[in-house]
Formats: sequence, structure tokens, C-alpha cells
Amino acid sequence: MDFSIIPQALPEFLHGALNTIIYCVVSFPLALLLGLILALMGSSRFIWLRGPARIYIEVIRSTPFIAQIFLIYFGLSTILFNISNHFGSANLAVYVNGWTAGIAALAINYSAYEAEVFRAGFLSVERGQTEAAFSLGLNSQQNFFRIVLPQAVPLMIPPFVNDLIYMLKDSAIVSVIAGLELTAVLDTWRIRHGSDPIPLFILAMVLYLLLSLPTSYFARWYERKLRAAL
Amino acid sequence: MEQTFTKSNTRRKPRGWLVILDYVFYVAIVAALGAFSYYLFQFRDSIVLFFPTFLQGAGLTIFLSVSSMILATIFGFVGALGRLSRFAPFRIIAAIYVEVIRGTPILVQLFAWGFGVRALLEQVGFDPYTIAYNFMTLLQNNSIVPSPFVFDAVFYGIVGLSFNYGAYLTEVFRTGIESVPIGQTEAALSLGLNSRQIMRKIVLPQAFRITIPPFANYFITLVQDSALLSTIGGVLELQQLTNAAATANASNANLQLFFYVFGALMFFCICYPLAILARYLESRYARAY
Repeated sequence: MDFSIIPQALPEFLHGALNTIIYCVVSFPLALLLGLILALMGSSRFIWLRGPARIYIEVIRSTPFIAQIFLIYFGLSTILFNISNHFGSANLAVYVNGWTAGIAALAINYSAYEAEVFRAGFLSVERGQTEAAFSLGLNSQQNFFRIVLPQAVPLMIPPFVNDLIYMLKDSAIVSVIAGLELTAVLDTWRIRHGSDPIPLFILAMVLYLLLSLPTSYFARWYERKLRAAL
Repeated sequence: MEQTFTKSNTRRKPRGWLVILDYVFYVAIVAALGAFSYYLFQFRDSIVLFFPTFLQGAGLTIFLSVSSMILATIFGFVGALGRLSRFAPFRIIAAIYVEVIRGTPILVQLFAWGFGVRALLEQVGFDPYTIAYNFMTLLQNNSIVPSPFVFDAVFYGIVGLSFNYGAYLTEVFRTGIESVPIGQTEAALSLGLNSRQIMRKIVLPQAFRITIPPFANYFITLVQDSALLSTIGGVLELQQLTNAAATANASNANLQLFFYVFGALMFFCICYPLAILARYLESRYARAY
């Protein structure tokens, strides 16, 4: 094991880590937004809103992320190519690359999980709170935004942070469709130095740990504080 | 908002004209299923040609998942005993194991096992294929072990998957054991049981109940994560076959996309029944005794 390779590899690895952070920072708010829409659709009393949300969540949660990412990458490019062919416009498929398809795949995959978190959060606010709000004359919008949401958000933060860590780790899979993040950098360096790749793996793992451990300690600290407050 | 004091009144009956959309939804579901069936029907030649191979891949995926889960249970159980040990070095080693594994992506770990550890052990002279071959020859005359390339990849794949899931199961088992009230242990002590008897007869049976639902959920994610083995090559499971078939037909974009759809559909057919089973187990064990 020859650790003298690390100073050479470090700048590229750090750049890869930065790209990993960008993937998460862009995808997670999108996943939250989609997840909130799905959760609200799923709690609707109309089947035409509830049904599609349930089907989406079940299908996404029952297929591997790597299959979804290939499907989105090739599906988007095929569909856009067919559309541009049909209308005779410029080829739109050139816009499908590791960044767009990766962010779309992460957001689509995680929205199903965030929807469950939102649903559990809203359900954890007692029914009596809603009843009390209605008895005080609030309407259902006021009840949702002033009573349910402020009580549900603190409960949802620990699972959100956990899902952010999961997303950080799952963003490694974006490397299979030419996303240029930490694992892709690791893979190119591994191929370049095939005889002795162990130091490179250690470097990548340390970088991932530096990203994920503080976040997970924050989640645990916050959860302890929350439990003490309740 | 009139008369919303009680539970039954807060959930109002749907208004008339929006109910029509419910029936529109049913029609749309049937139409979507029909359209999807037609989409698959368009590629019937490829399905006939590749379905047996894909079924074999699905079989290997299930084999990988089950054997990894068995090994991961062992890792997790040892890890949980380590985390709850009174001997500090065991606790620290188990904690480092859990933190490092849960803090790094499984893909990087599989790379590390499939390329790093494999190369390292080959330098030392460790060859799992020869060991398995000799072992199988010891058991029978005509030893059936797949070719070295496939065997080694499957071996390191199973080790990588189970080492990863062992860390998650460590936490599952630890919380399961810790959730048994201390009064149970005290009662058992007062009845004169020793610590091993307490663990085996009092704590573990009660902890087992709590660990079943998360265990089932982790099995589903394990089936899905076994698809990541396609990145280290040589393991002919479902995703690897999907990628191979799709890459071979890359000249025809629609056919290439079809293979990815078909692979995802096969995974769905494996994972969705498991998800229903997990949900049943969750509701079954949420009830009191």
C-alpha cells in the first residue's frame, strides 16, 4: 500500500466531493417539494388524487435506484430524441447528461420516501388539535398552516436529515451514468492505478465520512433535544 | 366550515362533480395498464428471446439476497453483542464498524471489496475459488462450482453486501435488545437464571418480535441493492443482464430503453410482494400478545 498517491489525487477527489454536495443540495429541495405534493395528494379524500400518489410511491419504492437511474437517463434521452424528430426541431436529447438525469433521478426516487415522512409527520399531530382549531372557528387552510404544520415540522426534521445522508450515499450511484461526483473520480483513479487501489478507497471513504458523520451527529443531537422538549 | 366539531363531520362527503373524476381515474388506470401491455407486446420477440435468461438472473438475485441476508444476520448479531458488551474494546470496534459502514456509500464499499480487497488478497495468495473447489471436492466427487470469474465476483459481492447490511442490522438488533424492559432481566435474575439463560430465554425471544419488521424492510432494500453488483462485473444478476442486453442493442434506442423497463419490471415483481409481506408482518407484530 503506497499512500504517496493521496496528495496527487486529493484535488480531484475534493472536486468530486464538491459535486456530490451540489447533487444533494439541488436534489433534496426538489424531493421535498415533490414529496409534499405527493403526501397532500395521498391524504386527499378523492381517489383520483390518492390513487396516482400511492401508485407512484409503491412503484418507486419497489424498484432499485440503479434501475431507475438507467431508466430515466435512457428514457429521457429516447423520449426527447423522438419528440425532436417528430417536430423536426433541434435534438433536445443533448440536454440529458449526468447532471440533469442524476438530479432528476435522485429527486424522483427520494420524493417517494419524503412523502412517507410528511405523511407520518402530519399524522403524528393529534386529531384533537385539529378539532380544537375547528371549534375555535379556524378554517381548514388556517388549521393546516397555523396548527398542524408548525407542530409537524420539528418532528419531521430528524427523518429528513437521515434521508439527506441516505441521498448523499445514494448519489454515488449517479457515477454509473457519467455523473462526475466523488465515486466517479474514485473509479477513474482506480482504473488508472489498478495495482494498488486501497489508499484511494480509504481516501474516498474518509471524504464520505467527513460529509456524513457531522450531519448524522447533528440529527442525533437534534433528536435528543426534541425528545427532551416533548 | 359548518358543523366540524366531531370526527365524523370533519371528513365531509365528496362533492358531486368531483366524484366523476374518480371514475375517470379508474378508466385511466385500465387504459395505462393496457398501454403498458401494448408496449410490452411490441417487443414480444425480445421478451421470448431474453425471458429465460432474465429469469435465471432473477434467481441469482434472490440467491444473492438470501445468502447475504443470512451472513448479514450473523454480522449484525455479533456486532450487536459487541455494542452491548461490557468489555470496552469490543464496544469501540463495533461502534467504529457501524459508523464507518453506515457513513459511506454501499457502492464504494462494493468497489473496495470487488477491486481493492480482492487484489490485496490475491497478492497474499487467497483464492476463494480454489478453497470452494477443494471443499466441494471433499464433499462429492464431481465438484460443481461455477467458473472462477463468476465465483469470485459472487463471493466478494456477497461479502460486501452482508458486511454493509451487518452494520444496519447491528443497530436493529441493538435497539431490539435494548427495548426489552430492564425489569424482565431483573425478574429473571431474581428467579435465579444466569446471564446466558437470561439472554437466550428472556431477552432474545422478546427482542426478536421487535426486530422482525425492520428486518423485513432491510431485506427488501438488500434485494434492491444487490443490483449494484452489476457495477463490479461478473455477477450475472438481473441488473447486470439488463445492462448487457441494453448495451448490446444500443443502436436501437427504443429497444435499449425497453430492456431497462423490463429489468425494472422484474425487480418490481420481486420486491412488491415482499413489500406487501413486510407490511403484513408490521401490522401483525404491532399488535400486543
